[in-house]
Amino acid sequence: MIRPCDMMAVEMARLIRDGETVFHGVSSHLPLIAVLLAKATHAPHAVHLNIPGGVDPESPRLQAFTSAGDDLWETAAAQFPLMDVFDLSMRGGLDVAFLSGVQFDNLGGVNASVIGEYARPKVRLPGGAGSAVLIPTAKRAILWRTKHDRRTFTEKLDFVTARGNVSDIVTPLCSFTMCRGELILKSVHPTSSIEEVAENTGFPIRYLQLAATQPPTDEELRRLGEIDPQDLRSLEFR
Amino acid sequence: MGKLTDLKQAMGGIPDGALISLGGNTLNRAPMAAVMELARQGKRGLRLVKTAGGMDVDLLCLAGCVESVDAGFISCETEFGLCQNYRRAVQSGAVKAHEHACYTVISALRAASCGIPFMPVRGLKISDLVAVNDYFSPVTDPFTGETLNAVKAIRPDVAILHVQLADEDGNARIEGPVYEDALMARAAKEVILTAERIVGAGFFENAQDKAQIPHFLVRAVVHAPRGAAPGACPGCYGVNGEDIRAFQKLDGAEALTAWLQRRLP
Repeated sequence: MIRPCDMMAVEMARLIRDGETVFHGVSSHLPLIAVLLAKATHAPHAVHLNIPGGVDPESPRLQAFTSAGDDLWETAAAQFPLMDVFDLSMRGGLDVAFLSGVQFDNLGGVNASVIGEYARPKVRLPGGAGSAVLIPTAKRAILWRTKHDRRTFTEKLDFVTARGNVSDIVTPLCSFTMCRGELILKSVHPTSSIEEVAENTGFPIRYLQLAATQPPTDEELRRLGEIDPQDLRSLEFR
Repeated sequence: MGKLTDLKQAMGGIPDGALISLGGNTLNRAPMAAVMELARQGKRGLRLVKTAGGMDVDLLCLAGCVESVDAGFISCETEFGLCQNYRRAVQSGAVKAHEHACYTVISALRAASCGIPFMPVRGLKISDLVAVNDYFSPVTDPFTGETLNAVKAIRPDVAILHVQLADEDGNARIEGPVYEDALMARAAKEVILTAERIVGAGFFENAQDKAQIPHFLVRAVVHAPRGAAPGACPGCYGVNGEDIRAFQKLDGAEALTAWLQRRLP
């Protein structure tokens, strides 16, 4: 049985190309582990950037309570803290930013701010963190969300925290990709089906060529176990 | 000139309504001992600034100390989850959430540290945040005519920072990630430090790793061992999960008062 957290970590890692500069922020163990996996497999020269500012931490001993802690600093050779990462993105030098949210529409819009009215919200969400500046300025914003239902993937956002260069969204059921300004289905994970994706998505599913997501290979799973022996990639599913 | 004082004195000097920037990031090296003392003293109307806040902001919201929060993200991250007191306070209208994109907090602090009224930023091209917040406004590049967004400067009355090492004059060294602390020290009108360890005169003069915060920016220094607990302080201690959970279970300001009394330094 393929665990959704393993499928998502692997699928996110595969989106990283060798040599790219890649950033993830807080509450981001899945992309953190995906970056480490990509560097351990097909993208050894990808550059891992993060909030504490350790560039390419070497075999970090990950901590459960944070993805912005000193574990990502201790074994790094150089420092490049958050404000430097933002500046890099502003001048066009950041290739990939991993971000999330709670609502997504089929035009690449993200809501991480509020449900209801901004000034007096029904639900105050944690906030978009870097989204509003990174989604428009990073070359590709890759989004992930461990929940896939009709309230999450919706036609109408309560609030637009950001729009911009969203390139892909990875969920426990499938991977979406942006194609000519529209979010289309790229592949369905082996544990799901197109029917399940359609039932749980609040806008009509469209695709050009539908593929089955490649299941994690034995090598990828072995690497995941080495990188993340505490299984922090499943934190968001607990 | 010695600036060493105690928490009570140092926090006592902060008036109601002050604009305060808090150091650290989420549960990492946040000035928790200082935050707990602000709550004990029953401050009101505090305006908080931070890129990514966690239990510090949540605790002050539960204590009723807060008027507004300018931040990009407020949460104790995935393991410890949402800041429910902050969330409830914003939803009830008791606290105003001024949502930023972490970078716009940095830009606002940079503007203050440069003594200019705003900072232009890229990004924010299509975001409802621009329309609903008066601290963002479109601005035209006078040289090319390009439209960017301006972020209004934020000049905190005080930056409260927890550091590993400080001397009595206020020179301070942060070990490990610095986050926005050094910038906050320059943007704020004054700095209050809490420190794990007070080092002797001459310590930094004889070290290769100099203090990142120079004494002349600092008003007060407090010796506060475990001053970031129950959050983590790099090189000193990790998170105390049991204590964080106990805080998260407190069901009101009275329960918090009792909890804070048990934690008197």
